[in-house]
Amino acid sequence: MTRKLNLLLATGLTSLMLLSPAFAENMLRVSYPEDPKSADAQMTTDFYTLPLNIFDRLVESETTGPGQSALVPGLAERWDVSDDGLTYTFHLRKDVKFHNGAVLTADDVVYTFDRMLNPATKALNTDILTFIAGAEERLDGKADSVSGLKALDDQTVQITLTKPYAAFLALLAAPGASIYNRAFTEAAGDQFGLTPETTNGTGPFILRDYTLNDSEMLEANDDYWRGRPKLDRLLIRVVSDPDTLRMLFESDEIDVFDMDFAPTQTPYFYGADQWKDHIVSGPRVGIYYYNINQLKKPFDDPRVRKAFQMSIDRQTILDKNFYGKGKLEDGVMPRGLRCYAPAEPIAYDPVKAKELLTEAGYPDGVEINLQQVSSWSSRWSDMNQIIQAQVAEAGFKAKIITTDEAAYLAARKAGDSDAYTQVWSADFNDPDNFFYTFFSETGSKTRGYNNNDPEVFAAIEKARGMTDPAERCKLYQDLTARIVDTDAAWVPLFSLDHSFVVQPRVKHFIVPWNGWSDMSYYNVEVE
Amino acid sequence: MLMFTLRRILVSIPVLIGITIILFLMMNVVPGDPIELMMREHASPDVIARVRAQMHLDDPMVVRYFRFLWNALQGDLGVSIKLNRPVTDLILKAFPNTLSLAVCAALVSWIIGIPAGILSAVRRDSLLDRFFMGFSLLGVSMPIFWSALLFQYIFAMKLKLLPVSGFYGWKYMILPAIVLGWSSAGVIARLTRSSLLEVMRLDFIRTARAKGLRETGVITRHALKNALIPVVTIMAIQVASLLSGAVITEAIFSIPGVGRITVSAISSRDMPLLQGAVLFATALVILGNLVADILYSILDPRIRAQMRKEA
Amino acid sequence: MMTRSVDSAATPETPDEASFLRDTVRAFRRNRMAMAGLIFILLLVFCAVFVPWISPHDPYRVALDEQLLPPSTTYWLGTDNFGRDVLTRILYGARISLVVGIVPSLISLLIGTIMGILSGYLGGKTDFVVMRLADMMIAFPSLLLAMVVMYTLGANLLNIFLALALVGWASVARVVRAQTLALREKEFVEAAHANGTSRGRIMFDHIFPNVVPTLIVLFSLSIPEAIMWESSLSFLGVGVQPPAASWGLLVAKGKEYMFQNPSVAISPGVAILLAVLAFNFIGDGLRDALDPSMKD
Repeated sequence: MTRKLNLLLATGLTSLMLLSPAFAENMLRVSYPEDPKSADAQMTTDFYTLPLNIFDRLVESETTGPGQSALVPGLAERWDVSDDGLTYTFHLRKDVKFHNGAVLTADDVVYTFDRMLNPATKALNTDILTFIAGAEERLDGKADSVSGLKALDDQTVQITLTKPYAAFLALLAAPGASIYNRAFTEAAGDQFGLTPETTNGTGPFILRDYTLNDSEMLEANDDYWRGRPKLDRLLIRVVSDPDTLRMLFESDEIDVFDMDFAPTQTPYFYGADQWKDHIVSGPRVGIYYYNINQLKKPFDDPRVRKAFQMSIDRQTILDKNFYGKGKLEDGVMPRGLRCYAPAEPIAYDPVKAKELLTEAGYPDGVEINLQQVSSWSSRWSDMNQIIQAQVAEAGFKAKIITTDEAAYLAARKAGDSDAYTQVWSADFNDPDNFFYTFFSETGSKTRGYNNNDPEVFAAIEKARGMTDPAERCKLYQDLTARIVDTDAAWVPLFSLDHSFVVQPRVKHFIVPWNGWSDMSYYNVEVE
Repeated sequence: MLMFTLRRILVSIPVLIGITIILFLMMNVVPGDPIELMMREHASPDVIARVRAQMHLDDPMVVRYFRFLWNALQGDLGVSIKLNRPVTDLILKAFPNTLSLAVCAALVSWIIGIPAGILSAVRRDSLLDRFFMGFSLLGVSMPIFWSALLFQYIFAMKLKLLPVSGFYGWKYMILPAIVLGWSSAGVIARLTRSSLLEVMRLDFIRTARAKGLRETGVITRHALKNALIPVVTIMAIQVASLLSGAVITEAIFSIPGVGRITVSAISSRDMPLLQGAVLFATALVILGNLVADILYSILDPRIRAQMRKEA
Repeated sequence: MMTRSVDSAATPETPDEASFLRDTVRAFRRNRMAMAGLIFILLLVFCAVFVPWISPHDPYRVALDEQLLPPSTTYWLGTDNFGRDVLTRILYGARISLVVGIVPSLISLLIGTIMGILSGYLGGKTDFVVMRLADMMIAFPSLLLAMVVMYTLGANLLNIFLALALVGWASVARVVRAQTLALREKEFVEAAHANGTSRGRIMFDHIFPNVVPTLIVLFSLSIPEAIMWESSLSFLGVGVQPPAASWGLLVAKGKEYMFQNPSVAISPGVAILLAVLAFNFIGDGLRDALDPSMKD
């Protein structure tokens, strides 16, 4: 017990020291509403700030402009892809060092990916690597290694796929594909990423302190291969209450105020003389949508779905509820996504919608359910209430149903879910991340669309392996027309900007290409 | 006394086991998959099925329960599914934070509640009584998250006297302790008042009065000493109950305490963590009650005799 | 929060009901705070019942052009983020909050009384089992128990009743049991027993009427407690769900707009404050009035 108390006292003291102004000079203080649980990117599908700052990946997605990105060399300084699109050969950068001094080798890369697929790891991010030959066998415990992973020499890794996958490189740039050190990670076992002592990467920052549900302290990696970061320290705090967050920011205890965590504060900051010049905003490669379950009446009829699309006044919601900070979306792909092209606009037309409902056999209107989950943010229940009022004009008598997350997931699995609204942000910059997620055979079923269109299924599978980029994009655009216009299986709403307010001393803060809250702080400076 | 303590501890074992069974049943009869909840929108059925099997979550309920019980009896509460850390570690690390919050809050409630209770018993219906009783009742009547917001706004944002939130030293403790402590001051005030009124009716006070001692002397020298016995004894229970009542305070003031991890365990269906946290909290409440009874017997000889009889 | 000192609400030994009632009413009426509380609550109930006729506003109408207006002659307490009249929302919220205060209190009183009398009068195994059950409920941290119920059974009004009743019955049972134990030794109970009156009759005719004064006090004090519990659950997202509104939910949601229109967050909080205070004054007044020792 005394040991525990001493430990507590010690962490308390370091935290205190780090918070005092003298030490805070070159420190950036940010916050997230939840604890990340671990720095291990393989074990999460949600919390990527630690992985993005502590580790590197073979390939990186670099933000080149607002909402734009390019794949650039990371730990691999170059790579070759065979003509059949099956074999990727990565040539690693020389003299990259882990935080513990170990030098990066090809074996580390093979180990990292094998660890993800090793059933003993119980990793959650395995979807990234399932295209690799032998991945499934390894996952199922039928093999002790992954046949498609090879270290040709210390500097060269060869990865073989079972079938060509156009988005493979983009996937390797996802935070889940962060590279670890074999010896260190093996020794850390299941404790890897949970404490500073059991965390080791090649990235710009080193984890120094981790107090669960309170904060993580990161320190600059002096030997970083791209050059030392400008920040000395990065403090990541857990602040779950949005009003508390705003007060922390205004009392200069936090440097970055992420409006995603307190969207209702948007008008205040845009209106405040003190802050309006310190807002950093960028598009988000993410789309707000309504999910419609086609197994449930009346949404089994495309005319009803079309009517639903047309009866939502999206511009008003965007203007009034999101303060106009975004853009209407009419397709499956939001702006900023590779292959994006403006789709056929969906008009707000309650009169036409009413006609469609009559045509479908509901002249007196029809009852529908809008689902929400009690643990989700109030953003969703707010949207449901607005949309409930809006679609009434066209004759939809919407009832709002609230359940908890477990019940919602269970209903979705059973094909019995009601329409709900959500947002999907790109994990990696490729349309496959949207189409496969929602409209592939498995996606459509597990996400409760039940848009059982064999042609769409086939086209999505085909697009995954296509090597000609232009032809591939064309296919996705055609698919958009079919899904959104013809079948009205998808109700796109809008994509929002992601706005941050930063303290005046924060420089070079840019919104990452995907618009995430989780980002690398490598380029940020404080004065 | 020893017999009494032992007996009480023995009786509390079925209570603890009963609670784990209730909890286990409740959390298992409804849908909810910890892995699925952890992966949120990224959940893919293959991954979920595989990880569930790897974590033995697919075993029959009875098997899982007895595995838990067997390990728990050996002092191993298991590993949290979501946080991937040993439950015992998580609780022991979070506990000192919650404990210090609870103790400080209890102090605040005594500072407000005891004078309020005394005044209200002694000077009934005076202006001072109204003020103090009203003040302590005010605390009970405000939702914690609401008063916390007002306090943060006034004392941290506007007056800049105290930090808004966080947990890095005594300064950070003041606002949460006041918010939480004030909310239970009314209980202390009521208890002090009724117990003082009861004592004042007793013979020895009447005798003292009859002897012509001054009223204030009677109260401070005789009545108060006896009236505060139940108040002192309830303190142990109060600290224990504040521990579990701190959930909301911890969330608003970003205090990494036991309440926070318990709430997240409920919402993420993290059974090992939830069982551990609830067992811990329950054991504390039971312990608090036991300490209260023992204190009471030490302070009040009449009770000691009765306890001997019961044991 | 944990224990309440209602033990002092001693039971009348000779049940001369008419004069007891008269005395009680007189004592209660002399207590100005309690009377003020009673009047406030009656007024509140009146408004909550007749709000559709009193207020010109629709509590669910979404008018995005009238978001977060400050208090005015049209909207006395301003409007919320959907342009809905805050005062009207609060009065509609009073319906839910009052029901959430009263129904679970009644349920836990009913269960607690039955359990308490059975346990105290029958003693033996019944007593042991009931008291261990009660121990379990009291030891189980209340807010967590309520949260577990809400999470597992789903967030709706019925389950809030259930959760709060589950949290509340055990302490009622304990108090009632203690009183029953005392009453069992009283002459009139022993006389009835000697006359061959059945145990059920004794419990219902002789013991129950004598715990009623205590129950009244317990009831009036558990209403505000239930209102507070509900507001905590709503804050944690497992209470009443939008678009319905209880006061707790109104504060929890309104809190986000604290800086734009403070009235949205502060008004429902003040409503909770006043109602809970009023119920507490009534409860204290009743306790004093029912306790003969306070009358000299």
